[in-house]
Amino acid sequence: MSGSSKEHIIKSYDDELIRLTGELVRMGELAVSQLEAAIDVVDRRDERAAQHVVHNDDAIDQLEQEISHDVVRLLALRAPIAGDLRNVFAALRIAADIERIGDYAANVAKRSIPLSMAAPLTPTGGLAYLAKLAAEEVREVLRAYRDRDAERAYKVWQDDVELDEAYTGYFRELLTYMMEDPRVITPCTHLLFMAKNIERIGDHATNIAENVWFQVKGEPLTGQRDKRDLTSSPEPVKLGNRPE
Amino acid sequence: MNDLAAATAAPLTGAATPPKIKVRDVHFYYNGYHALKGIDMDIPEKQVTAIIGPSGCGKSTLLRIFNRIYAIYPKLEAKGSIELDGENILDKDYSMNRLRTKVGMVFQKPVPFPMTIHENVAYGIRHHEKLSRADLEIRVEQALRSAALWDEVKDKLKQSALGLSGGQQQRLCIARGIALRPEVLLLDEPTSALDPIATGRIEQLVEELKHEYTIVIVTHNMQQAARCSDRTAFMYLGELIEFDNTEKIFTKPGKKQTEDYITGRFG
Repeated sequence: MSGSSKEHIIKSYDDELIRLTGELVRMGELAVSQLEAAIDVVDRRDERAAQHVVHNDDAIDQLEQEISHDVVRLLALRAPIAGDLRNVFAALRIAADIERIGDYAANVAKRSIPLSMAAPLTPTGGLAYLAKLAAEEVREVLRAYRDRDAERAYKVWQDDVELDEAYTGYFRELLTYMMEDPRVITPCTHLLFMAKNIERIGDHATNIAENVWFQVKGEPLTGQRDKRDLTSSPEPVKLGNRPE
Repeated sequence: MNDLAAATAAPLTGAATPPKIKVRDVHFYYNGYHALKGIDMDIPEKQVTAIIGPSGCGKSTLLRIFNRIYAIYPKLEAKGSIELDGENILDKDYSMNRLRTKVGMVFQKPVPFPMTIHENVAYGIRHHEKLSRADLEIRVEQALRSAALWDEVKDKLKQSALGLSGGQQQRLCIARGIALRPEVLLLDEPTSALDPIATGRIEQLVEELKHEYTIVIVTHNMQQAARCSDRTAFMYLGELIEFDNTEKIFTKPGKKQTEDYITGRFG
């Protein structure tokens, strides 16, 4: 428990808070699995599997509903204060972030369907790499949340820059493909959206990190986070070299 | 700085207001038992200060020193100083009569005198002041109005106070306390015997009264301290553990002992 390692005098209060943490971690793991499944269907060009991933997003939405219900119940019946209040407040916010992560994973799966209909002219390895970074980021921030480890969360918050850089690199790579061969514009545009979805997953992981920090420390995580998504920068994008 | 900026930059609670009561190194002994161990605190003027802590922590004892009510019992001894507007009330030369007009007190259980509603309020005023009948009536009405009781009792002022409900009796006790126009109002668990509606009325009253009085409230109800105080003090085993803005105490207390107590982890 944040703020104190002691148990509540009322045991069922502890049980409810522990259950809340468990539900969130489970929801987070489900969202990461969804992202990994989405990347897998991109690679396998499997339309039915993609639809299955899209459909599975309902389970995450359902978990978010349950968490919201539990939070309202805790607020009404337990009137949490201090560390307990921050715990419950953070849970509500983190659940919203995980729900968005689930949505982005489903979006990736959804776009894999038109992508699989186009000729496999564009390599998707860059997308898989982005997903790997994002999945690890989300898993790591979930561990930080589970263990109430503010420093670990802070590291995730800082390390999101790697995902930003990878996204910027992949953006340049796709632009290069499109300039070289207009036939790949459609699949590359889908891949750009998918890459952006994955980059946003990293941003939600940093939101979760901020909430873990607040929960543990009782103060907001301030300061400028290094951001390296340069794709919207006014500077002309340097084109990547197409691998031989 | 413009007005809005000034308003938002001002501290939310008492830290910036001058202290009405300065408690310095106060120790208290019951028959040799060391009940308070060196309390230092500044009670801000015209604000509500809540004192919380488990039973036996010394919070009611501290409150009772603020008007020296302990002095009516033998073998009780307070050391240190409690300055009310710069004068040490623990000083033997400080007149008890003067202290009682400056510091009013309301207890856990409403204890109206077995008299009429009117007499309950008028009694103390007569004891301390010589007023004409007309002035006395005005003062009684003012006190009952300030205690948010006037509308309920104005037609039965000559009836016994014992016929009032618990909540009304407690507001009558507050009226009795403020009839002398004190500067400080001490409330010792004033709502623990009341239902939620009567409790709400008392809390609303506290919010209104703080514009005129410095209020110190001892309560076992965490939510009550959170709802109606500006500053909260947490005491444990005769010591003041933490004293800070109520918002801070209830969102991010500085001491683990405070957090354990207010979140119900105290064993």
